[in-house]
Amino acid sequence: MIIDIQLTAAPIPENLSPLSPPGAHGAFLEFRGIIRAEEGGQPVPALEYEAYSKMAEREIRRLLESLAALHPCLAARVIHRVGVVPAGEPAVYVGVTSRHRAAAFALLDEFMNRVKQDVPIWKRRVLSPAAAAPPKSDSHASGPPAALLSLDEAMAEIRSRCQPLPAVRAPLADALGRVLRETVCAPEDLPPFDRSARDGYAVLADDPSEVFHVVDTLLAADWKPRALQSGQAVRVATGTALPCGGLRVVMQEQVERDGNRIRILKRDRATHIRLRGEDVKAGQPLAQAGVRLNAGALALLAAAGCVQPLVSPLPRVAHFTTGGEIVPPHQTPEPGQIRDSNSTLIRGLLQNIPCDLEQDHLSEDFETAWRQLDPGHLAQLDLILVSGGASVGDRDFTRPLLERLGFQIIFAQVNVRPGKPLLFGADGARIAFGLPGNPLSHFVCFHFAVALALARMAGGETPPFPRAPLAGKLDDEPCPRETLWPARLEWNAGAPRLRPLAWASSGDLTCLPAANALIRVPPNQGLLPAGAEVDFLPAAAMIFP
Amino acid sequence: MRVLFFAQLKDVTGCHAVDLDPPSPLDSNGLWAALLEKFPGLAAHRASVRLARNCEYAAPEARFARGDEVALLPPVSGG
Repeated sequence: MIIDIQLTAAPIPENLSPLSPPGAHGAFLEFRGIIRAEEGGQPVPALEYEAYSKMAEREIRRLLESLAALHPCLAARVIHRVGVVPAGEPAVYVGVTSRHRAAAFALLDEFMNRVKQDVPIWKRRVLSPAAAAPPKSDSHASGPPAALLSLDEAMAEIRSRCQPLPAVRAPLADALGRVLRETVCAPEDLPPFDRSARDGYAVLADDPSEVFHVVDTLLAADWKPRALQSGQAVRVATGTALPCGGLRVVMQEQVERDGNRIRILKRDRATHIRLRGEDVKAGQPLAQAGVRLNAGALALLAAAGCVQPLVSPLPRVAHFTTGGEIVPPHQTPEPGQIRDSNSTLIRGLLQNIPCDLEQDHLSEDFETAWRQLDPGHLAQLDLILVSGGASVGDRDFTRPLLERLGFQIIFAQVNVRPGKPLLFGADGARIAFGLPGNPLSHFVCFHFAVALALARMAGGETPPFPRAPLAGKLDDEPCPRETLWPARLEWNAGAPRLRPLAWASSGDLTCLPAANALIRVPPNQGLLPAGAEVDFLPAAAMIFP
Repeated sequence: MRVLFFAQLKDVTGCHAVDLDPPSPLDSNGLWAALLEKFPGLAAHRASVRLARNCEYAAPEARFARGDEVALLPPVSGG
């Protein structure tokens, strides 16, 4: 029998001719196995095939030869796709020729049954074919990215993969902490008119009179333009619009009043007038695109009437905890169990960063967990966080879960302590992190990875590590990994300094209440003396307003 | 000897291959012992995994020696 076997990343051709010479066969039977776009009510945009190519070819050949002994055929061509195959495309092609049709039908049917038993090819669902890794012709040359990234490399990767989300207009009341995406200019002078800065009496600036006749009283909201004559005064309150130009305000404390007459006891050099446009002139920028809006910036926008600024949207974030050993915090743990603290930690940390957060706990069984998820909904989110399950224990399924959701794993380890088994995945603009389960690892990974991703999505700047001296010695054994050491940033005689906190392991929560910074300890550093200048990462509450 | 991992086993081990250098040939129990020491997570998959030696399914009495290409094959799903 003539046999041709191809494992290929390329689409299977539409038209394939029989392998046996014309005239030899009386039957030419072709089969194309095509990927269905829907399975069990779930959309299947694509499947990803992986093969142990060398062995798969051998097994297919062996299978065809053994079947041909039972069902004499003249030729068989088998083509099997590897890599990502979109729904609607054939993943497998078999073309068989025989003298009589019965042998070809029998061989083909039997072959397809046996392929699913013995040929080392595996498939997985891919939710988003565009995001999947490029097809590979020989999958055992692939596998997870093996490189162990440095902290800088990992942060650079996150920075480059996370792009600013499309801006939206939001009311000022919802804009705190968001990044301004337009430069807002003053629509008018601020203040918009000359205003009195004191409670007192407005008179002509160069009027030498000592006694004045009070001709009017203006309250804060009054607008009564008029010219003043020498010897005339107008009673004004702080903030009152002055009736004309060329005035000064004499403070009421420096005046003696008798009915409608006042006598000036003392003249200040200051005019006590806030001039129109002295804060900002119409057309001058009030707030630059890229600034994070704190309460003060919002107040300035309000003063300028910019009530719907163009700002970063609220990223939609889902956080899932995993692990059979954790129980909700209100529950008493059985032996071997612990209370879930990570949900509370993540929720608290994310309250410092504007976002829409949803949280859930996933079953420890992979398929059960998968059924808990709504991939269509998750496809709408901007950021997915999965706690626990990022290392390689047998119950750990974060990586396959993210891959099944369509994420390409960019890195799976960072050479940092704690927090090494951090997973980072991307699916276009959609980002996912698998956070190592220990709480301190969570705290560290949140600050150097998750907060960075959210800052990039918001379109804000991510400043470099600031520096400060140590308040006390940092007593560490030299570690080949870079360390992000929990610390308390405090003020000493007006200068910031960092007090290293004690921590026993990556599961140690006890230092977290005091931790508001992470000291960056270089690899193999060992002890750092008090006063040493170190780089540090401020905690989220300090990064954001 | 090079040991290859496929499909979900790559997720368990975090790599697609590992090099072992046993002083003498291993039977399948010895091979599993060496692998489980490195990757305890594989234990859950042992029952369903088939071993291949140099691109052939390995017989129960097979021995795995230096220079061999060994593969751990989880249940297949091609076609």
